[in-house]
Amino acid sequence: MIDFSLNEDLELIVDTIRSFSNERVLPKIRTFESDRRVDGEVSREFAMAGFDRLELPESLGGSGLGMLARVLVNEEMGAVDPGAALALDRLGPAFYALEAFGGLNALAQFARPIVETEGKRAVLVLESDSTFDVEHGRVSGAVPWIPSGRADLVVILSDTGARVVEHGSSLQPLRGSGLRAAGSASLRLEHAPVIAQWQDPRKAAQALAKARLYAASLLLGVLRGASEFSRNYAMNREAFGRPIAHHQGLAFLIVDMYTAVESVRLLVHDAALKIDSGEDGTQHAAAAFVEAVEASRFIGPNGVQILGGHGFMQDYPVEKAMRESRALGLWMGGIDRARDDAGKFLE
Amino acid sequence: MDFEIDKELRREIEETREWGEREVRPAGLEADRNGAPLPIDHPYFRRYLEHGGGRTRWHGPGAEPARGSSGGGVLKSVIIGEEISYWDRGMTIANPGVGLPEGIVLASATEEQKERFLGPFLKPDRPRWASFALTEPGGGSDTANFKTRARRDGKHWILTGAKCFIGNASRADWILVQANADPEKGRSGQRAFFVEQGTPGLGGFKIEKKMGLKAYESTSFTLEECRIPENNLLGEAGRSAEKSDGGEKSSKGYKSTMSTLNASRPGVAASAIGIARAALDESIAFARANDLVKQVRVRDRLELFQRKLRAAWLMVLKSAWLADQGKPNIVEASMGKVYAAEIAQDIATLAMELLGVVGARGDHLIEKLYRDVKALNIVEGTGQIQRVIMGRQLVGLPR
Ligand SMILES: Cc1cc2nc3c(=O)[nH]c(=O)nc-3n(C[C@H](O)[C@H](O)[C@H](O)COP(=O)(O)OP(=O)(O)OC[C@H]3O[C@@H](n4cnc5c(N)ncnc54)[C@H](O)[C@@H]3O)c2cc1C
Repeated sequence: MIDFSLNEDLELIVDTIRSFSNERVLPKIRTFESDRRVDGEVSREFAMAGFDRLELPESLGGSGLGMLARVLVNEEMGAVDPGAALALDRLGPAFYALEAFGGLNALAQFARPIVETEGKRAVLVLESDSTFDVEHGRVSGAVPWIPSGRADLVVILSDTGARVVEHGSSLQPLRGSGLRAAGSASLRLEHAPVIAQWQDPRKAAQALAKARLYAASLLLGVLRGASEFSRNYAMNREAFGRPIAHHQGLAFLIVDMYTAVESVRLLVHDAALKIDSGEDGTQHAAAAFVEAVEASRFIGPNGVQILGGHGFMQDYPVEKAMRESRALGLWMGGIDRARDDAGKFLE
Repeated sequence: MDFEIDKELRREIEETREWGEREVRPAGLEADRNGAPLPIDHPYFRRYLEHGGGRTRWHGPGAEPARGSSGGGVLKSVIIGEEISYWDRGMTIANPGVGLPEGIVLASATEEQKERFLGPFLKPDRPRWASFALTEPGGGSDTANFKTRARRDGKHWILTGAKCFIGNASRADWILVQANADPEKGRSGQRAFFVEQGTPGLGGFKIEKKMGLKAYESTSFTLEECRIPENNLLGEAGRSAEKSDGGEKSSKGYKSTMSTLNASRPGVAASAIGIARAALDESIAFARANDLVKQVRVRDRLELFQRKLRAAWLMVLKSAWLADQGKPNIVEASMGKVYAAEIAQDIATLAMELLGVVGARGDHLIEKLYRDVKALNIVEGTGQIQRVIMGRQLVGLPR
């Protein structure tokens, strides 16, 4: 039956990750950004709490949680620092391709070593964003950007299947527009041996759906963070004899931003519930991603706008949110591809 | 009615384009990469002087003031300004010269002040800057409510307060500082003062780290019992604010500042257009190079960019034309600024989507434009303030 509340377990998870992100991550967001990485202590604490293996099955030492838990965690982390979120969750959405195609075996073989070795990172790249040639079981090609400074395992997801590569990749560091705490690089594969590959368009769609939801929930967090920060700011800053929030021109903007965040959240939760219940969530995940990206076009720049000149300065987090929300919206195939997938069901 | 640009001006645009492409774009990219304005001894600034830049529009003692920022009317200055912003908006502010305060000084300064403060910019021996300080940490939109104070002390004024986000402040020969000489009178107590670099009490310069427009410095500073000669009070040399009676005359300081901002609005709007046009051109080039133009979603975006950009440009041209005709343009100038700045933001935002993951690399011009353009809806009156101004005119919105 309809119920918008979280059960106790999920509530506890949200409380825990919220405290972690506010207490451990928030004070260091600009340091992480300029260092292009998250410090070891914070990483270890994140892992100690089990957040680095949230969806890994219990039989493999993980928490075995589902998509709803994932999007709740990502919203909290995204609200503080989506780049740090990516750096800390070292499996990232690569998990979904391994899970969809290779099940427990692939997770044991490829995912577990990543979480068990400090600093290692897996990356998921979409074939549609890149150019690849495969010859004699070896893959060559280039990915213009990944939000990572390491790629110990590369999972290439196409419309029809996936390939796994462990060696033969090299990274060229980039400045990156946003998400710098995650690292930022272009990735090149040169005759990299494919160590596993699978074909199944249905599973490819499922993996992409989850990966999109992963991105959409981080984006949701960024948008919430920017909206809440600017709302609080507007309540405390005065111009023309009252809080700026009480000028209708800003009040309406603030309520529209609030509404946009809520619409994204509901669609993200809707898709996550569908996926967790075993339904085909591909359309809903694509729709949630589209909604999140559209909202980001509106909220990113307006979060800055509400702070006026201060918003443009790097002393405040809203300019960071404007950059990061844009970068996240380009990830996982971007809005156009998601729109195609969300609308495909109309045919 | 005619929306064409004549041959003579077209030639000037072409010259600007050549300079912009060769010098301005690379300089802007260099500053953005370094995350800091070019140092004052950067060879670009010398070349800018040799190119004829950095000079005042004032023609020397006794000369009539020139109109528009390049002396040929508002329309012309807007058109040239758009072209130069196309190559780099940040560099247009970073360029040596009197810059923002020039209009207000030309309109309100005494001849003696023009000679003293604009004179060195007639044939500058080195790159020189000036600066205009209105905004304060406590607020920029509510211009009548600035907290910086000016107190009379014999033949001096003593200024106390703080300013922030001020363009070129730490490298300026002088800063035109807005301060209130008579707080009880509110906005009518406001005056502008020339504060020369090196004046004791002027200090605490901090160059802000910004999201974009990194090519010029936006600086906060403080005025602590900063003593300046009485004839550094703009316009009313030697006269104390207390002596001037209320009403029209005494609010001149505030009014002249505001009228300068009104006049510069089409220029700010034009620079947003310049940025947006650069984003459009880069988008088209990227779409063509990657064989995307036939994709309907890509084409829809490019069509939208072109259509909105044209509407915005015509709006801005009309506001400039009205100014040249001596006709009221308050609504048009505000409309053009808010429309151009917001459309330019939308164009840069959507252009990032066109690039896909390439946009996230942080090394594409469109990514820089996305960061730069945001400021245009904030500086010199935010989008909300432009709407308030229009609202007052169109529906009698009360103050
Ligand atoms: C890159 C850059 C360069 C700058 N250069 C200079 C410079 O050289 N000299 C200078 O003096 N200043 C400069 N500024 C400052 C700029 O002019 C101010 O930032 C601007 O006027 C807004 O003031 P504020 O930042 O204090 O915002 P606030 O006035 O605090 O406004 C905050 C928010 O409240 C909104 N708001 C305020 N009043 C109302 C209302 N009545 N109705 C609805 N909404 C309202 C604003 O639109 C904004 O969204 C610069 C700023 C930037 C970003």
